[in-house]
Amino acid sequence: MEFKDYYQILGVPPEADSKVIKTAYRKLARKYHPDMNPDKGAEDKFKEVAEAYEVLKDAGRRAEYDELRQYRDRAGSNFEPPPGWRSSSDFGGAGSRHFEGDFSDFFNSIFSGAGAESRQQRSGLRGQDAEIEMPVFLEETLAETSKLVEYLIPVYENGQLSEIKKSLKVKIPLGVVDGERIRLKGQGGAGQGNAPNGDLYLHIRLVPHPLFDVEGHNLVVTVPLTPWEAALGMKVTVPTLSGRIHLTIAPNSQTGQRLRIKGKGLATKSGTGDLYALLKVVMPPSANDEVKALWLSLSESANFDPRAQWSN
Amino acid sequence: MTDVVLRISLHELCQYEGVNEQLIVEVVDHGIAQPVAGSSVVDWVFETTSVYWLRKAVRLHHDLEIDWIAVAMVIDLLQKNEALQKQNQCFERQLKRFLD
Repeated sequence: MEFKDYYQILGVPPEADSKVIKTAYRKLARKYHPDMNPDKGAEDKFKEVAEAYEVLKDAGRRAEYDELRQYRDRAGSNFEPPPGWRSSSDFGGAGSRHFEGDFSDFFNSIFSGAGAESRQQRSGLRGQDAEIEMPVFLEETLAETSKLVEYLIPVYENGQLSEIKKSLKVKIPLGVVDGERIRLKGQGGAGQGNAPNGDLYLHIRLVPHPLFDVEGHNLVVTVPLTPWEAALGMKVTVPTLSGRIHLTIAPNSQTGQRLRIKGKGLATKSGTGDLYALLKVVMPPSANDEVKALWLSLSESANFDPRAQWSN
Repeated sequence: MTDVVLRISLHELCQYEGVNEQLIVEVVDHGIAQPVAGSSVVDWVFETTSVYWLRKAVRLHHDLEIDWIAVAMVIDLLQKNEALQKQNQCFERQLKRFLD
């Protein structure tokens, strides 16, 4: 396997003292940590940096590593630890890495799976948790719905990592909100031996609706009106998530006005939100001669200046 | 059909994350997560939404070697950022209704 130059990974000279190494690690960790960096390659880069630090921060491990590093040029890309090599390092304890399946083959070959052992002690070979995005339609939040989810689960078989497809019918509870996470016990990665499976987390994402916009527990429907409808007032049929309703528009209504329709919003665990009808006056794209004449007559009688606020 | 679970106990949390109770107590003390039930520590129960942030907090504390106060600040900012992004998306969608 390829020899990993941990000093190069951290960007420090081999004689660097622990302070320099710490500073270098922190800088790179801050840059590539997956919780702070959403870029695709960031997590892999972070794991590499974290592994380098794990070895170089401890005097004992660093000394062992330095010993092997002398031979890296000779080996080229066929590095193997000398036969009978045994690391005396102990990786147990709370300081161990949190990423599952974390250390590289190179690391494991030198430190003979000590990292894996401590993980074993810590979590009893429990399966990995998994998280998937779960798109939910607004209509589906109105009542308890069952949905089919398909996802890939990493599986270890004879030391080989592969992925299997799993399919599951899930009961989506009433009133889920966008961004909520739902836990399905035991539906994650398989545990090794008798250890329990990991969990599956569903990250709920409400699918944007062509008609309705979500505002917390409320919904907003934009109602287009002609200028004369807004001027004269009228009754309009408005769609809701659960059927159509009649709405009375008052004369002289304005764009942007909101009319509240109680109880026609999203269902929540503590009741139902409201639906707001948001009025939007729309101009017709063109006018024939007759209509143009009417607009002209209106402009002469109406006596309204919307730009009165602008100074001369 | 699989049961959907919306809660997780302290014991389960410690087991899954490979951390001890004291760490969770620290996280709660710094306001990073709050139990939704349980009068004493051993009875603590968290919403599964908290698990996501709890995990992030533990990772940040360990990986970036920052103290819990800093972790709490980071988590708070990450949450605010998420909320703002969501709100922004909401406004953009609404605005589109008027521009189309």
